[in-house]
This record gives sequence, C-alpha cells and structure tokens, in this order.
Amino acid sequence: MNESQHVSSQFDEDLGRLRTHVLQMGGLVETQISAAIEAYTTGEIASVKTIVETDRKVNDLEKAIDDDCAHIIAKRQPTASDLRLVLGISKIVTDLERAGDEAKKIAKGVRRIYDNGHLPAQYGVGIRHLAEAALAMVRQALDAFARLDGALAVSVIRADADVDVEFKSIIRQLITHMMEDPRTITTSIDIISISRAIERIGDHAKNISEQVIFVVEGRDIRHNKEAIK
Amino acid sequence: MQPMTTEQIRVLIARGKLKDTLFQGLGIICLSIGLLVIFLLVGDMLMRGLDRLNIEFFTEFASRRASQSGILSAWVGTLLVMLVTAAAAVPLGVAAGIYLEEYAKRNWITDIIEINITNLAAVPSIVYGLLALGIFVYTFGFGQSILSAGLTLALLILPIVIVATREAIRSIPAMIREGSMAVGATRWQTCRYHIIPYAMPGILTGVIIGLARAIGETAPIITIGALTFIAFLPPAPFSATGVDGASAGLFDWVMSPFTVMPIQIFNWTSRPDPAFEVNAAAAGFVLMGMVLTMNAIAIYLRYRMRKNIKW
Amino acid sequence: MQTHDKPQLKAEARNLNFYYGQTQALKNINMPIYDKKVTALIGPSGCGKSTYLRSFNRMHDLYPGNRYEGEIRFFPDNSNLLSADVDPIEVRMRVGMVFQKPNPFPKTIYENVAYGLRVRGEKNKRILDEKVENALRGAAIWDEVKDRLQDLAPNLSGGQQQRLCIARALATDPELLLFDEPTSALDPIATGAIEELVHELKTRVTILIVTHNMQQAARVSDYTAYMYLGEMIEFGKTDEIFIKPQDKRTEDYITGRMG
Repeated sequence: MNESQHVSSQFDEDLGRLRTHVLQMGGLVETQISAAIEAYTTGEIASVKTIVETDRKVNDLEKAIDDDCAHIIAKRQPTASDLRLVLGISKIVTDLERAGDEAKKIAKGVRRIYDNGHLPAQYGVGIRHLAEAALAMVRQALDAFARLDGALAVSVIRADADVDVEFKSIIRQLITHMMEDPRTITTSIDIISISRAIERIGDHAKNISEQVIFVVEGRDIRHNKEAIK
Repeated sequence: MQPMTTEQIRVLIARGKLKDTLFQGLGIICLSIGLLVIFLLVGDMLMRGLDRLNIEFFTEFASRRASQSGILSAWVGTLLVMLVTAAAAVPLGVAAGIYLEEYAKRNWITDIIEINITNLAAVPSIVYGLLALGIFVYTFGFGQSILSAGLTLALLILPIVIVATREAIRSIPAMIREGSMAVGATRWQTCRYHIIPYAMPGILTGVIIGLARAIGETAPIITIGALTFIAFLPPAPFSATGVDGASAGLFDWVMSPFTVMPIQIFNWTSRPDPAFEVNAAAAGFVLMGMVLTMNAIAIYLRYRMRKNIKW
Repeated sequence: MQTHDKPQLKAEARNLNFYYGQTQALKNINMPIYDKKVTALIGPSGCGKSTYLRSFNRMHDLYPGNRYEGEIRFFPDNSNLLSADVDPIEVRMRVGMVFQKPNPFPKTIYENVAYGLRVRGEKNKRILDEKVENALRGAAIWDEVKDRLQDLAPNLSGGQQQRLCIARALATDPELLLFDEPTSALDPIATGAIEELVHELKTRVTILIVTHNMQQAARVSDYTAYMYLGEMIEFGKTDEIFIKPQDKRTEDYITGRMG
C-alpha cells in the first residue's frame, strides 16, 4: 500500500477522513455486538434499547461514507491503490452495517427469551464462545483494514471455518435437546436464530477481510478457496 | 501591507499614463521627420518636373534639346533589365534558399556559406559592377548588353532573395513539414506541394524589395558600360531589323545596348543647360512612381496569397 | 493457457536506445505492440514517450544529430524499422501519424486527405474521390464536410481538424497509427469524439497513443506502458495497470502522488 502523499493534499484529507469514518463505524458495530453478548449472558434487557439506537447511528454513517465514496470517484477519478481503497470501503461498510443488523437481531432474540422466562443454563457457554470468536473476527478485520495488513486479513478468513464448525455443533446440540424435551422448543428456536446471527457476523468479518486483501494486494479472493492457502 | 485606496490607484495610473503620452508624442515627431523628408523630396521633384510630365515625355527618345527629350529608351531599358534580373535572381535565389533550409546538413560548411551570404548583401554595388565587367562583359562576351546588366543586378539582389526565401520557409511551422513527411512524402514532394506554395508570399515580397533596390542602381550599370544617350529601342521579338530585313529572334533584345532610368537622370543632371534639370526631376518622379508601384504590388500580392494560408 | 487468445505481435521494440546528440533519451526499451489493439504510453512530461512514439515512423531522421540503437521489429515481415537499409519514407508509408496539435495543410479539405495518395502517384480522379470519401467516413467526419470538400481545412473547428488529420493518415491504409497526444488541444466534447474514433479504428489498424491524460489511457487502450526518465517502467494490460500496478513508480504516477 502506498503511503506517500498525493500532489493534491485535499485528496489525502478526503481519503484520510473516509478511513477514519469506516473505523468509527466499525467501533460502533463492535460495541453493538459485545453489548448483545453481554445482554445474552447477563439478561440485562435494558441494553437492548441502546443497541437499537446505535444501529441508527451506524446506518447514518453508512450513508455518509457511501456519499463520500461517490464524491471521491466523481471528483478525483482514483486509480490503482486509491481506487481499490474506495471500492473496498464501499463494500466494507455494507458488511459492517449488516453485522450491526445481526447484533440487533441477537438483542431482540435475547429480549424474547428473557420476556418468556429465563435462559436455561446449558445454553450459556457454547453461544458465548461462538459470539466471542465472531467478535474477535470483526475486531481483527477492522485492525487489518486500519493497518492494511493482508496477513491478518488472511487469518480472519481462516478463523471463519472454525466459527462455522462451532455453529453446526451448537445446532446439533439444540436439535437433540428439542427432541428430548419439546418444552424447550420455543427457546431453542430463538437460540438458533441468535447463533445464526452470530455465524453471519463471522461471515461479514470474512467478507471485510477479503476486501482488505483486495485493497492491499489487488487480488480478488472471493469464492476462491485456493487463494488463501 | 494595506490595500491601496481607489484614490491611490488612480494617482498611480495617471503617473503611468503621463509617460505613455510623452513617448507617444516623441514617436510621432520622429515619424514625421522621416515622412516629411520623403514628401519634400517627391513634392519638390513633382513641382519642378510637372511641366514635362506629359505623354510625349514617355514616348520620345532623349534629345539634345531639353524640351523635346523623353525617357522612352530609359523606361523600356529599365523594364527589360528588371525582367532579366528577376528571371535570373528568382530561380537561383529560391533554389538556393530552399536547399539551405530543407536539404543542407548543419555543419561548418553551411555555416561558412551562411556568413558569406550575409556578407554578400553588404558588398558595395560598384564592386558587383567590376566583377560583372570582368565576367559577363569580357569573359562570357555578353558585351554591354541588357543581359550583362540584368545578370549583374541579379547578383546584387541574390542575397536579398535568398534571405527572404529562408525567412519565409522558416516561418512555416515544423508541424506542417512533419505532417507532410509523416504520410510518406519525400523532401521534394514536401517542398513542391507545401514549402514553396506557403513560402511564396514571403519570397515574392523579398523579390520585389530586391527589384526595387535594383531599379535605382546606377554604379554597376555604368561600370559595365551602359550608354548614356540612346535613340533606339532593343529589337522586339520577330520584328524586322537592319538593312537586310531579317527577323529578330525571340531573345535578340537581350544582347542589345540599352540605357536605364537612373543613368538617364544622371546624364541630364550633368548637363549645363538648366532645362535638363526639369527633365531630371520629372524622370526622378517617374522612377519613384515605379518603385512605389512595385511595393504596392508586393503588398497586394502578399495580402492576396496570405489570405488562404493559415495554421 | 489458451494460446488462441494471445494477440498477435504487430511490432516489438528490442533493446531500443535513442540519443539526441550526447543526451540519451530512451534507455533500453523492450516492449511489444499487439496487432489491432490500442497501446497507450503514459508518463510525466519529458519521460521520452513522444520520443519513443516518433521512433516508429523515423520522424527523428528529419533532424540532424539523432541516433538509434537496437531494433523495432515490424510484423508480419519481421523487418527492422530502424535499420539503416530501410528507407524512412518506406516506414512512413506503412506507419501513419496524428500530431499533438491538429496540423491540416492550408489547402482544401479534399486535398488534405488526397495528399497521401498523390504522394504515392495516384492520379485517377475516381479512385481519389472514393478513397477520400472512405477515409473521411473512417474518421467520422464525412457527414460534416461532404458538402464543402473544397473549403479550406484550417476553417474547420479544432476537433474537426484533428479528425481530418486522422482521415489524412487513414487514406493510405497504414498498418500502425501513431497518436501523439491527439486531444491535448481539444475541448472535452471533441476529445470524446476522438476517443470514440480510436475505439472504432482498432478493428482495422494497430494504434499506439501517447497521452498525458491517464483517464484517457484507461478509457481507450488495451495495453498501457508507463515510462519515466527514458525507461519503460511497466507494461501490461490497461485494466491491470490501473487497478494493480506492479511498480511503486507507476502507482505513484497514476494515483497522483509526489515522486
């Protein structure tokens, strides 16, 4: 990645601001996710409202960043690394926004579960572990973007496979429980949708990392398992 | 620094404009001096020679009596000499100019040639006369003829024609030449279709300026021995001449003895009879008229030809 | 790999060096020019891109003190354009050129286009008429000038003049067409028309274009070469150069960074 300055310092400022906004948005999404996990384990339903409010801010930022990208393309006709950065950012923000939406879904699922009673203890640890792995992926993807670190992005993509495996085992577990005791079905369905949302967050982190690799190296590794081996 | 007030700006402009006005006045005065001299000269000649400026003055040969003298042989001689001069100087000068600009390699030989051409333009005309006397009159045996005079004057104006040709060629943008060469033209095709046509207005101007200088030259013509008193015209092509009644050839006139306007004037001014001075003034006025006419033609031609050439 | 997709070579510079007197303007350039493709040369002013372009029709031979080393191989006959045995006029008969500033001759529109044919000794009025019309059509200017072929070319607008110059080059069916910053003197609309034309022309002729407008290079070319200080820094497919250049210097130039 190219760190030397443009002849137009205004262009440097525009790109700099764009990156700052993305990281700011990433920070908000991270807090959404961690607050949702927190609510899930502690049953603090009050924080659900905050998560929904934060989502509005995330949406506004997404629109603002997209707008900035359009302006930069129109005014500066970016090429090479600049072009890749702008294109990458416009896709990264979409994934970030969707990750935020998933956090909102988790929060709402948590509210349903606790409204109907309380969380059966045996579901705590596995989900929490899954959620922390997904959150770590988001964090690392954002770090990889901030530092334009391709190697870190590759490790995030690899981590997604583990999350998928873990998700599948949780689903199997839940199915077993539901067969053993049909009374748990209502709660189990909510938990399935929560773990589904967590798994989706991991996917979004993976997508973000793929964009980081495109920004840094100019390689498009989407839908190509060979590329990261 | 404080920005200037409108008042200050106006004072500054007024000061600058005062100098403008002063220089403008000075310029007009200098210009008037030059114009005044020409007007006085022409006016003086016109006033003194007005009596003699009638048809007969142009159709009569020179005579011992001032009142019956005319300039027939002189103006015909001048025209014919100019014809030979132009016929010799234009092809030679244009070809040389084109060669130097378009073909010659830049090296020390061309540098020397260039310096020589500049120097040739500065050689006193009498020296050309001496040269021509030796070469044309004696070595080539052209005698004291229109041909000798025409060639001598051609030599005299050759540098002017060459320099004018080169200047005209240089004013053609390089991209026109490149445009022609880029479609696969040879140097000659480029010259033939582009360089020569586009340089023509400039070349013509140079030729006419050269001829206007040659028309007034006296010294080299006297040196090669033009007659000062002549009462016949050169033989017109195919006219009957002499006792045997044989027809003159197409170019017999070039070998004929002749006189020219400046020599006629010089001859008249050296006569003791003051009546001849009136003739001289009238002839001088006619000569001036010829020069001005040539310049006018040059300006007109240049305007006409340049109208269609732009890049 | 699919070999049938690989474009044919039209020309290839091999170890090309060029000197203006003592100054070396091109340094060991190796580069392919593919048949019926548009290749763009980009780089900062004075990088040698025009010098390189003008080697392809031996334009440097018009001026003293210029010297080539190396070869420009021309295909399919595999001749060396720079060889002393090859007449520059022969080269220019096969390689056409369009200049930075439109340079129509101060003659009629018709004569401008017919000139290349006249130079080749064509006198038949019918053939001349036909080829002039074809060339003007090829340069997308026929409809604008068909009713005034006897008007003087310099009275056309700048964009029309440049298309006329393209017609002049096309009239003689060149195999390779060189463009030396053809739109630098034109407004955006006229520029667009020329770019569109370049795109159409590549079905019939190989094109090499110098431009200091990078977006133009990106728009019109299939291949792009970045030159700097007389050297060929990077050559590749235009898409690759503009999205992922391999060399830091190319990257800095096309993204507008300080060198």
